[in-house]
Amino acid sequence: MDDAKKVKEVMVKEKLPWRTFVDSGPIAEKWKPAGTPTFYVIDHKGVIRYKWPGAPGAGAIDTALEKLIEEAEKDAKKPPE
Amino acid sequence: MRCITRKILVLLLGVAVVVAGSGQDKPPTPQQQYQALLKERDDLPDELAKAKTDEERKKLLSRLGKLPLRFLELAEQHPKDPVAVDALIQTVALVNGTAFPAGGKDSPGRKALAILQRDHIKSDKLGLTCQWVVFGFHKSHETFLRAVLEKNPHPEVQGLACLSLAQFLNDRLNRLDVLKAQDKPDLEERYHRVFGKDFVEELQRQDRVAVAKEIETLFDRAAEKYPDVKIPVTYFGSGGTVGEKAKTELFQIRHLAVGKVAPDIEGEDQDGKKFKLSDYRGKVVLLDFWYRL
Repeated sequence: MDDAKKVKEVMVKEKLPWRTFVDSGPIAEKWKPAGTPTFYVIDHKGVIRYKWPGAPGAGAIDTALEKLIEEAEKDAKKPPE
Repeated sequence: MRCITRKILVLLLGVAVVVAGSGQDKPPTPQQQYQALLKERDDLPDELAKAKTDEERKKLLSRLGKLPLRFLELAEQHPKDPVAVDALIQTVALVNGTAFPAGGKDSPGRKALAILQRDHIKSDKLGLTCQWVVFGFHKSHETFLRAVLEKNPHPEVQGLACLSLAQFLNDRLNRLDVLKAQDKPDLEERYHRVFGKDFVEELQRQDRVAVAKEIETLFDRAAEKYPDVKIPVTYFGSGGTVGEKAKTELFQIRHLAVGKVAPDIEGEDQDGKKFKLSDYRGKVVLLDFWYRL
């Protein structure tokens, strides 16, 4: 069975709502996460703002996302330069 | 009369000891004692798995806990024997299998490291020892790695010392960052207890930019000067070469650290549709590396 199908099956079963890069190796080879899970939070400019090897807890993720979304909204309101 | 009896007794005893000494039961050589300790080290976990009662388990655990000290004692009893350096290395290896290795001046691990540094700094066997202390955090580990890098004449050892020092400083910096970013009083208390409050606070005051720069320089040096040195396989690393490992770490530092623009990812999603990480520019993205068997 191909990888995408396997991933899809797990995601349906566990009701995972996001989009996944199905990786047979090259992405992990380049990013080399120390383990799973590894989390990155990337802001609206594409800059890595948080990096957690291991789950930091839902509270930490929520706080980080809220802060960055606020930043993104502020920037969106600014008149274009 | 009583006095004479005593003398006779002493004489008899003396003879008995001499006879025992020259008989079949020669005391084991340092090398034999070392081999016996290695065997215990290898057998104890199996025995532990097979133990039936808590009492048995407790006894075995206590023997397991004393192994580092027994290797150290063997080395201290025979400091000139070639086996001393091997025994000291075993002590270091056994003590450092955790993120919070025992410290303090009486810890066998710390003592073994100090003796290695004092008496065996030029040994060609220290490469693996450098790897054992990579996640050690302690001041004494940093001192040891710097001494090996400076004084050991063997390129293989130098290469591993250079890589290990970079990994050690990097791991410590990352852990300090985690400590700072997450409000976990328990974790902080543990760091203070294991590594010393003064030391942890001293580290927290260090110039982060300067340390990060040194880490990068050391990884660069490892990749350029010692690319082909082999890394021994350990429970935390699958081998490879110093060059490969240093380059991987440099890519992390230069492209995958907080504050860097994330490298783009191109791939296909679970429905086979092509997409890129940069498609989401303008939005906040949570990227989670996950895995299921």
